[in-house]
Amino acid sequence: MKKVLALVLAVCMVIGLAACGGGSTPANNTPANNSNNVAPASEIAGTYKVLVWCPAEAKALTTKQIEAFNKDNKLGIVIEATVNEMSESEAGTQVLNDVSAGPDLYFFAQDQLARLVQGAGIAKLGEAASKKVKDESDKAAVAAATTGDQIYAYPLTSDNGYFMYYDKSVIKEEDVDSLEKLIEACKAAGKRFSMETDTSAWYIASFFFATGCVSEWTADKDGVFTNVKDTFNSPEGLIAAKGLYKLQSAKDVHVSSSNVADFSANPASAIVVSGTWAYNDVKKILGDNMGATDLPSFNVDGKDYHMGSFNGCKLLGVKPQTDVKKGAALNQLAQYLTDYDHQVERFNELGWGPANLEAQKIDAVKNNAAQVAINAQNQYATVQGQIHGSWWDIAKVIGTDVGNSDGSDAGLQKALDNYKAAIDELFKIDYSGKIFVGAWNEWNNADEKFAMTKDGNNFTITLDVPQSDYMGGRIVTPGDWGTELGYAQVTTGKELMNPEMADPAKNGDNNIVFAAPGTYTVTTDGTSITIVKK
Amino acid sequence: MSKQENYDPSEIKRHMGMSAKNRISNTVIYIVLIIMSIVWLAPFVFIVLQSFRVESTWMVGYVVPKTWGLDNYINLAKTDFWHWYTNTFIMALATAVGQTVIVLCMSYTLSRFRFKMRNGLMRFMLILGMFPGMLSMIILYRLLKDLNMTQANAVPGLILVYIASSGMGYYVSKGFFDTVPKTLDEAARIDGATRAQVLWKIILPMAKPIVIYTILTAFMGPWGDFVVARYISMNTPAGMNVAVGLNSWLSADQIISRYTMFCAGGVIVAIPVTILFMCLQRYYVEGVTGGAVKG
Amino acid sequence: MGLEHFAPTLFCGTNQKGIKIMARYSDLEYLKLSKWDKFLYKLGRFLIAIPLGIGHFFQKVGRGIVSGAAGFGRGLKDIGSTFKNGDGITKGSFVVMGLGNMARGQFLRGILFLLFEIIFIFYMVTTGGYWLSMLPSLGHQGPMEEYNPVLDTYSTVYHDNSFKILLYGVLTIFFIIAFIYTWRQNVKQAKITQEMTEKGIRLKNGKEDLRSLVDESFYKTLLALPLTGILIFTVLPIVFMILVAFTNYDGAHDGYFNSLFKWVGLENFNTMLSWSGGSKVYSATFGEVLTWTLIWAFFATFSNYFLGMFVAMMINKKGIRFKKGWRTILVMTIAIPQFISLLYVSKMFARNGIVNGFLLDMGWIKQSLPFWDDPTWARITVILINIWIGIPYLMLIVTGILMNIPADLYESAKIDGASGWKQFSKITLPYMLFITGPYLLTQFTGNMNNFNVIFLLTGGGPTNPAASGASGAVGFTDLLVTWLFKITTGAESKYYLASVVGILIFIVVAIISLVVYNILPSVKNEEDFQ
Repeated sequence: MKKVLALVLAVCMVIGLAACGGGSTPANNTPANNSNNVAPASEIAGTYKVLVWCPAEAKALTTKQIEAFNKDNKLGIVIEATVNEMSESEAGTQVLNDVSAGPDLYFFAQDQLARLVQGAGIAKLGEAASKKVKDESDKAAVAAATTGDQIYAYPLTSDNGYFMYYDKSVIKEEDVDSLEKLIEACKAAGKRFSMETDTSAWYIASFFFATGCVSEWTADKDGVFTNVKDTFNSPEGLIAAKGLYKLQSAKDVHVSSSNVADFSANPASAIVVSGTWAYNDVKKILGDNMGATDLPSFNVDGKDYHMGSFNGCKLLGVKPQTDVKKGAALNQLAQYLTDYDHQVERFNELGWGPANLEAQKIDAVKNNAAQVAINAQNQYATVQGQIHGSWWDIAKVIGTDVGNSDGSDAGLQKALDNYKAAIDELFKIDYSGKIFVGAWNEWNNADEKFAMTKDGNNFTITLDVPQSDYMGGRIVTPGDWGTELGYAQVTTGKELMNPEMADPAKNGDNNIVFAAPGTYTVTTDGTSITIVKK
Repeated sequence: MSKQENYDPSEIKRHMGMSAKNRISNTVIYIVLIIMSIVWLAPFVFIVLQSFRVESTWMVGYVVPKTWGLDNYINLAKTDFWHWYTNTFIMALATAVGQTVIVLCMSYTLSRFRFKMRNGLMRFMLILGMFPGMLSMIILYRLLKDLNMTQANAVPGLILVYIASSGMGYYVSKGFFDTVPKTLDEAARIDGATRAQVLWKIILPMAKPIVIYTILTAFMGPWGDFVVARYISMNTPAGMNVAVGLNSWLSADQIISRYTMFCAGGVIVAIPVTILFMCLQRYYVEGVTGGAVKG
Repeated sequence: MGLEHFAPTLFCGTNQKGIKIMARYSDLEYLKLSKWDKFLYKLGRFLIAIPLGIGHFFQKVGRGIVSGAAGFGRGLKDIGSTFKNGDGITKGSFVVMGLGNMARGQFLRGILFLLFEIIFIFYMVTTGGYWLSMLPSLGHQGPMEEYNPVLDTYSTVYHDNSFKILLYGVLTIFFIIAFIYTWRQNVKQAKITQEMTEKGIRLKNGKEDLRSLVDESFYKTLLALPLTGILIFTVLPIVFMILVAFTNYDGAHDGYFNSLFKWVGLENFNTMLSWSGGSKVYSATFGEVLTWTLIWAFFATFSNYFLGMFVAMMINKKGIRFKKGWRTILVMTIAIPQFISLLYVSKMFARNGIVNGFLLDMGWIKQSLPFWDDPTWARITVILINIWIGIPYLMLIVTGILMNIPADLYESAKIDGASGWKQFSKITLPYMLFITGPYLLTQFTGNMNNFNVIFLLTGGGPTNPAASGASGAVGFTDLLVTWLFKITTGAESKYYLASVVGILIFIVVAIISLVVYNILPSVKNEEDFQ
């Protein structure tokens, strides 16, 4: 008998597991139907089970709107939706834990877009849908939904920024324009000033945007960051750090929080920097004492700097589908949920400021106190666009670092140096070299592994080509996306390449694509390319 | 609870004299204990008080509600709370049974049998225990997903996770079994009982404290599990436990409207676990002291 | 009795003056030493024990490998001789498993062997072969995107799945090992049955086999289920985790949805420990986090230990009433799930939380205390709050142990006129340390991985500016295990780095355990307790 019984038991379990896994190995998913003959309407008619994630507050409304879609659409689409609660700020992380089990349609905050694109948790919009988004939404919303030059999501709101709520019984109207006066007023009243500058880069950036600093990230259409222009570590950045220090060093006044419940905490805050989403809550807590206005200015060396902010958006994403019909149906639904009518409805019921240009013009939106405040602040805001996910972790340290410094130029500069070192660590760019960008490194030109070795005036790289049909690439300068050298520059070894590449119509990016598997050495002197097969 | 009071005979003599010194030291001890009790209980009292506050739903700077009411408890019924609660209760029960069986099998075997691979096995498990379990989560998720035990079906999946590896936690009950004299087994064996009968008829009845200890700790586990349960249920209310569900109420977009409900939910979660623990405390003490200290 | 006991001298040094460190004292010699010398001696022994412990471990590993290799050689030889000496049936068993048993009347065993072989072959042909063949490459073809211009919609066709290849590849290897082992058992049994039949000894039949499973082989029955669970839910994930450290598996290479991941060798270890090239940010961060992890584990363990003991003795003191009541109040922190209590306590200590509000109202402080904002404050606060959570466990344990201290020890001490403090330091404390030595060790390693307390109280914060270049916004109260969690759930989901951290945690815990385990007196012989 011995161990046999135990083994058989174990084996059965193992097999059970392995067989399950085995069943789904070769992904025999229905390939998309590219036929041009079938009209879309009849092709996508059908019943689809759809999982939707939206924030708790929007659950009831979203369910209602989807039911309305089932009635309204003329295409024969029936959506059987399950709507689950998920906050927009965490949706991206959760989706990427397991895309296949994730929602088909989800609300998310724009900072997660690049990550979702890179993690393939979100599908591209088609040409017509993209055009519609570009035509109907405001600038910040389009930027939020775009990475590279590809639109990936439908804008839901365009008011994801922050401004200042204050308690009118404590703060006088004439003080609201000056950070220094506000801190003094809070101190005098024994109240607190809440701004989440210890733990959130989103709020810290306010000071840096005030002095004209930028942190502009460029992502390609695959969600990969290819370049960054960051001037936080600069003379202007130092001025911003001085402003930030005023708040951070006021330790008896400052509270790092964006929770408007601080208005009723003990010690209570008189000021909370937060966004439009908190409007109804602040109203409940403060009642008639609620004030909402744009952020103040801080004064450094006699000059005023009006605090900036991010102008960001909430987006609606569609998960990549294997069934193109379902994908098309979902896109119909997403367009419906983000059209003029439904953005207005969302504004009316939830107070979400629309991204739709027409919807922004209606009086109710224009006169809403939170919208007035955010619009006032938006004059000083920076369009958020795409920012590297790790930037938030890196930049949030500035707050505590500045707060714990001695406030001297050297102390503040050290915080900025720390920041810069971390950015460089994150985004390693050797500005002197050349990189072979291609299928090997997912076309990521920040990937130093495919940096070409410099030898005198020549750059060389050896590439293993396991397959010929799609393995290709081009030579770029780090940080720059455009092809510097490609097929057209090949002088020796043209016969080793796929002849189709000679046709510029088929090779817009001037890529080098090898005709057969093998090992190739690519050498360039900066003007021409030599390719040798081993 | 009288036995341990005899451990120090010198105390008895001194006690009879009831010297002034002793009275002072006892007073000091009472003061320390009272302060400790306040510190220990305050957070729980605060949570209970908050759960009865109806004038606002967010965090406030005072403790005693201005208006008392059961609104927060009543409102729980409008959410998925009771669903999560049932899920957790089922998981706790199943885990208590499964984990106890596994742990007892493992610990009894390692305490009573001397077989070839025994030492190797124990050392191997000791080494396995040195790896942080955190990363296993991702792999367990994929395994369970292939068995269709995630999302809405997370309850059986989580039960499996809680039970499957529980054999690793055999130390405490092995320590207990080690203290049960081997002569008992041998006598029964001479009488013709099989090993299985020895376990079932002789050892188990004697092992009541450790069985209850194991059941109790196993039962308490699923109530507090947050990280793994969240990963496996992947935001599907049907598969969530109370820890995951209640935590979602503390996310930035919900905390304002659901904070007092969080407190109410917390109170309801704490009640059964606390009562059970209080009732079975004696066994818990016997369990940990009988086994834990021995490793 | 107690810590003072040392094994008889292994080798005595010369009669030189001064403290022998390399050599061990006998009991008698040791007792003659002065207090200071005793201390020096103990310290020396401890320091020696560190390299010795590690040395012993590798010695054991080495011996294990040697004996394993020797066993393997013997096994091969035995297989060879079995084949040479075997009759047709035994030879046949080499191909058809269980033939030897079946032909000689042991049908149950034979059928199980055969069944196992059939299942194995079936599995390998249908799926196992695929997983195994893909393991070196981890897949060839990533997902492909397609555009349907009519529907104006993109769709995706998924192909190879690196994650599953790795997972089921490892499972298949487990299975193959199990098969080889079973096959070897099968050959052994064929040989034994042949020999026994030749000698005319009756073989056990199936019924007897089954009966042995509840009797002399009862342990196999008992262990089957627990070990299967451990194999699949602990061993498999750990093996997988270790392998992930050698790949580039992360959020952007998840192996299926976006792109495949692949083997990268030791690159990730280089990133973390930076022995060649690269910036030192990860190694510096690792050093900082490790240091704090050890400091935390030390204070969390010993503060709870001594305070818990203290509280238990207070409650147990003769003359103190409501013993059960005090205990019940304190164990509330065990009974109530930590996600409720710790989250609430964390909010209480916020800069505008109840604690600061109370202190301000009382006028005891002028400005809020930075419980969570200042690195040192935060570190002290987590240790203090951990006492709140941890004391009750210790109190319960100590209460139980105090009951067991033989009363005659105190009696004789009393006769010798020992004071209360003397009794504590000479009897209670040594006894406690002796009994709870292993417990302290597990507490220490447990605290190193105490995820809940840190995660729920501070989330690792306040953030550490010097570490901002490393993944996951490392904070001053982050332990290695919470850092690991942050890397996993962070913006880039660098699973491969998390795996490296996991392996490093293992190494650190293993070294500490080995060292302490080897110098603990009370774990030497488990049979002593029976």
